[in-house]
Amino acid sequence: MKLPKVRELLEAIKSLSHRPYTSKFPFKPHQPFPSFRGQPKYDPEKCLGCLACEEICPAEAIAHEDDTKGDVPKRVMIHYTDTCIFCGCCEDACIADHEGIKLSTDWELAFFDRAEAFETIEKELQLCEICGSAIACKDHLKWIAEKIGELSFSNPTLYQSRLKRLGVVDESILSASRDYGRADRIKILCARCRRETSLTTPASPAGGKGEA
Amino acid sequence: MQKSVISIGPFHPLQEEPEHFSLTVEGETVVDVDVEIGYNHRGIEKLSERRNFEQSTFVIERICGICSTSHPFAYTRAVEDIIPVEAPERAKYIRTIIAEGERVHSHLLWMGLAGHFLGYNTVWMWVWRLREEILDVMEILSGNRNSYAMFKPGGVRRDINPDDIPMALKKIDAIIPTMDRLKKAILDDPVLHARLKGIGILSKEEAINYCALGPTSRASGVDRDVRKNAPYGAYDRVDWDMIVTQKGDVFDKVVVRVLETYESIKIIKTCLQQLPSGEIDLKLKSIPPGEGIGAAEAPRGETFHYVRSDGTNRPVRHKVRAPTFMNLPTCKATVPGSTISDAAIILASIDPCYCCTERMAVCTPGGERIYTGKDLIKMSQDKTEKIKREMGIK
Amino acid sequence: MTRAAVLRDFQDRFREDILDFFDKSPKRAYFEINPDALVPAATYIFRDLGARFHIASGVDARTHLEILYHFSIETMNLLISLRVKLDRENPKVDSLANVIKGANWIEREIHELLGIDFPGHPELRRLLLADEWPEGVYPLRQDYQEWDKKAVRDRGV
Repeated sequence: MKLPKVRELLEAIKSLSHRPYTSKFPFKPHQPFPSFRGQPKYDPEKCLGCLACEEICPAEAIAHEDDTKGDVPKRVMIHYTDTCIFCGCCEDACIADHEGIKLSTDWELAFFDRAEAFETIEKELQLCEICGSAIACKDHLKWIAEKIGELSFSNPTLYQSRLKRLGVVDESILSASRDYGRADRIKILCARCRRETSLTTPASPAGGKGEA
Repeated sequence: MQKSVISIGPFHPLQEEPEHFSLTVEGETVVDVDVEIGYNHRGIEKLSERRNFEQSTFVIERICGICSTSHPFAYTRAVEDIIPVEAPERAKYIRTIIAEGERVHSHLLWMGLAGHFLGYNTVWMWVWRLREEILDVMEILSGNRNSYAMFKPGGVRRDINPDDIPMALKKIDAIIPTMDRLKKAILDDPVLHARLKGIGILSKEEAINYCALGPTSRASGVDRDVRKNAPYGAYDRVDWDMIVTQKGDVFDKVVVRVLETYESIKIIKTCLQQLPSGEIDLKLKSIPPGEGIGAAEAPRGETFHYVRSDGTNRPVRHKVRAPTFMNLPTCKATVPGSTISDAAIILASIDPCYCCTERMAVCTPGGERIYTGKDLIKMSQDKTEKIKREMGIK
Repeated sequence: MTRAAVLRDFQDRFREDILDFFDKSPKRAYFEINPDALVPAATYIFRDLGARFHIASGVDARTHLEILYHFSIETMNLLISLRVKLDRENPKVDSLANVIKGANWIEREIHELLGIDFPGHPELRRLLLADEWPEGVYPLRQDYQEWDKKAVRDRGV
């Protein structure tokens, strides 16, 4: 009966002389391990604004808002920190080589007002030249055109975006071409306007109007 | 003799979650017990029908905070059983490592709480400090201390970096000497023997009739463990023993959990050292129509998931059964006949996967008297002091 | 007994009541039986074969309601599921709670979430739903409509 008590006494003396196990946070910062899953952060250069992260998020913590009326049309990606569960599905789904949104090791995220608990980035948005609605972000169209290579020349939206970025196509060239209505076919259009122009503009200039 | 009804809960000091027990008491002895649950019902089975198979895994992981790996493990096995297909070898080993790490930390947490309630606050602090080592290992391997987000139907989401394995093994080896000292301190103590032996006995026939699971049934002599009866993951490739004791009282339940922690540490070390190379994900594209059943052994018993799919990317029906659902009704067989200060520890010995705080209301014919949580803990600690004095130890 | 012998013996014993048998894989077998034969079949599997009762899952297939009872024979790693198909208008099946004590809570849960009646159950009262939940509204049915107008539906900020 005495021996167990001696054993515990030795343990007690040993822990008295040892330094405390707890760290001195908040006086000394705490660095988690490099593989710790902290807050997701967008990279404004690499993100394409394709909304894959918004589709896949299990907690619905990513949203977007399109601003088509201002001077520069833009898409705002919003990440809600208080709803996020830090699972990393957005990073796994990112089509830009998993670099558009990445999980950092930030964990000190406390706040007082829930309405301020979000982070945003802005991407430039490409609008339809006829109806003015949003098609996709400019970087996203460029990424698709580069990915499918020469096949992008089958779709004016894709190749016009690419050539404009490269600086090969000038705005004034397009407006100078004679318009029998067919110039609409080589503009950058949304899907609905594309269908409408393909079906209603004349097939050849000499054939004239009314030929669908 | 007059009967009074004592209700414990829905906020209770030893349970981690809300539930409501009404004890009918004659004098000091409990005569009947009634359980009411449903305070934490979140409608998870209906939520699963609104999300696709991969997103559902994250909802399922948050059914419970402590046994959070066993639910996605059983769910991904159920989805793979619809086809049916098996995950690749490396994925099975990684899944086993995460599941066993969680078992170690869950048993250590329970041991700490039991120590606190009995009045052994030093045991509580030692055990929870030991738990920090295994939580560090989990953070290195999976990125978080508690919700690991490692599972997906068809495999695992993250791989284990071979550079991290030596540090993880070193931290696990640091647990073993302290576990040895703790095991001797807990199992040799005569006060604990007097306090815990002979109370809350669940006989073998009752355990089979109530379909009890996990350490609750293994302490009563029923040798049932999903990892041995229907092996999954890497459990049939590693050498380990199932712990079964015969008496079925609270002391046996403590013994089963302490010894199971050693077996889990053995499994983790063997799996880390023998990790095979290869793919970690089957990359399942679509799930055909059908039904699947998956089971996994949580720290508290067997988790059971049933999934039915109709060919779309969402489950049509997802049935979840946690082990505490079968273990809780056994209180009708174990609690009657014990005193009030024993009733709380008997109810806690099945390790209910629930959350907690304080209150308890004693309704006597004369008026109401409210006990707070501190009072209840003090009552239990006083009984331990009384036993110590009787045995001449102080 | 081997796995094939156990299954053949069960099929012989309840020949008139087994409507369908699906042998899915070495570890899983699904039987569809007549609702009236549920209690004798379940008693045979639980008592005589020494199986463990896992759970009963209630499902709302659109044309009818189903309950599956899952048992497993641990010595041979076999899980047998008994399926019972019930009518949507008046679903009821005899209670197993007098034979297996663990089935008490299971049937209470299916009763309040799917609306299936279990004649013979000792006390069929609410288990999980709140006291102010209205009668006759069964959440797990496919035609469930939201009834609480004051519930918060968005992030709540």
